[in-house]
Amino acid sequence: MSEVAIVGVGCVGFRPILPELSYKELMFEAAVKAYEDAGINPRKDVDVFITCAEDYLEGFSIFDEFVPDQLGAVLRHLFTVSGDGLLGLATAYMLIKTGQFDTVVLEAHSKASDILTFMDIVAFALDPILNRPLGGHPYYVAGMEMNRYLHDTCTTMEQCAQVAVKNKKNALENPYAAYGANITLDQVLCSDTWFYPLKKLEISTPADGCVVMVLASENVAEKLTDKSIWVKGVGWCTETPNLETRDWSKTVYTRLAAEMAYKKARIHSPWKELDFAEVNDLFAYKELQHMEALKLCEYGEAGKLTEEGLTARNGELPVNPSGGLLGMGYGLEASGMQKLLEVVLQLRGEAGRRQIPDAEVGLAHAWRGIPTATGITAVLSNVK
Amino acid sequence: MSLEKITNPLHVRHWLGDMEADYIYTLGVAGEHFLEEIKENGRIMGAKCPRCNITYVPPKMYCEKCFAKLEKWVDIGKKGVVHTFTVATIDVDGKKLEKPVIYALIKFEGACGGLIHKIGETKPEKIKIGMKVEAVFKPSFERKASINDIAYFKPAE
Ligand SMILES: [Zn+2]
Repeated sequence: MSEVAIVGVGCVGFRPILPELSYKELMFEAAVKAYEDAGINPRKDVDVFITCAEDYLEGFSIFDEFVPDQLGAVLRHLFTVSGDGLLGLATAYMLIKTGQFDTVVLEAHSKASDILTFMDIVAFALDPILNRPLGGHPYYVAGMEMNRYLHDTCTTMEQCAQVAVKNKKNALENPYAAYGANITLDQVLCSDTWFYPLKKLEISTPADGCVVMVLASENVAEKLTDKSIWVKGVGWCTETPNLETRDWSKTVYTRLAAEMAYKKARIHSPWKELDFAEVNDLFAYKELQHMEALKLCEYGEAGKLTEEGLTARNGELPVNPSGGLLGMGYGLEASGMQKLLEVVLQLRGEAGRRQIPDAEVGLAHAWRGIPTATGITAVLSNVK
Repeated sequence: MSLEKITNPLHVRHWLGDMEADYIYTLGVAGEHFLEEIKENGRIMGAKCPRCNITYVPPKMYCEKCFAKLEKWVDIGKKGVVHTFTVATIDVDGKKLEKPVIYALIKFEGACGGLIHKIGETKPEKIKIGMKVEAVFKPSFERKASINDIAYFKPAE
């Protein structure tokens, strides 16, 4: 069976707003960069195009129909995955593994600034009979989850706040990041408590941007480039949608997604075998919860490791060297692609001033946000 | 890539659009039983799986563990325990709330699941994980077979 490589990447954004480009032009510009990077002609060299988008976030019914033109995919073989970009990666990986397809283009974007009522859309994802009638800002669900997580693990508010400090600082070195900043622990802790114990500065702010990637089978990849990044394993999982019966402390969905990817990638001790990890940090505490579920450390240990600086960019296992979603901005269904982009750049040695020396194996992880319990994990390497 | 880029912000335009999307959500067999009992009798019901010996709250028509069809209803009482809670200080538009709202997941003894609801008759600083609370129902003439027929939960004992 052929190995699967990422042979081209293109990114536009991420910025708090990109007012001059429509979502189509945003996709077009990122696609031009990715095709240039891979050295391919989209009109001739691509077997399948995959876009990842959710109708409500786009403001269209049947949004799939609006995507071929700007990717060079008119009258070509295209479909949309209604989910995070990393679910698209899993789909592309499977297509190439069948041996029937050699070149697949993967796209996800966020034009969050076009959405005037984003939180109403998030609230619309809550159970209409049991939860929605209670009203309110839907991120109260995150506040409740953080509270139980801190209660069960003795993780402190300071340790959570440290995640925001670290990630926003990392983002200062990332040209694709919208919200890089030098902030202190006190600034985070003194920011408004929006959903106790969750603070304003621990919540990622949406951003506009687009990421396009070109994937290829071993044969094609080796003809195109000598800087292929290999997808070693992908895994995904969804827990119950019911807030009432799910686990409020451990993210079981991420644990099972990670086990699926690690098995395929033959990773046995992630802390030792990974050189860095890009982990979903939509809320600061989520980075800690997800680190534990990804087996980067024991349950309840992630806060301490963060406090001790072990997950800083120069630490033993850098977590979110890109700046994460707290630093790059929350790219909605492209948030997994933001993680994947950083993994590719780091493994190519193209991460500029935030480059992790000798990085060989990296992890990208995504979570689909409130109120979902869906996680996706991918392990990549620059060694086939 | 386009060679000519928009550099004057006054030339950036948009079109304002919206979409109206109205639905009815069918309660279903389990949902109807659950909300009717709240409305008519002020009782919180669960559904029991005889095979797994699990009582689901809110009730479901099927067991998520063994996939059996559930038909046995159990009254699980009005008292529960705060599994977790939060205090929201902003509304859905990001505006500061005049009075913070306390949301909690309340679990019931012997039941799998629980109810997400608001906590009332107390102050945010008094709430603790593990504290006992009790459902406060709206007067029967105000009830509409809604989760909001329970006005809130209040500290118990
Ligand atoms: Zn059962």
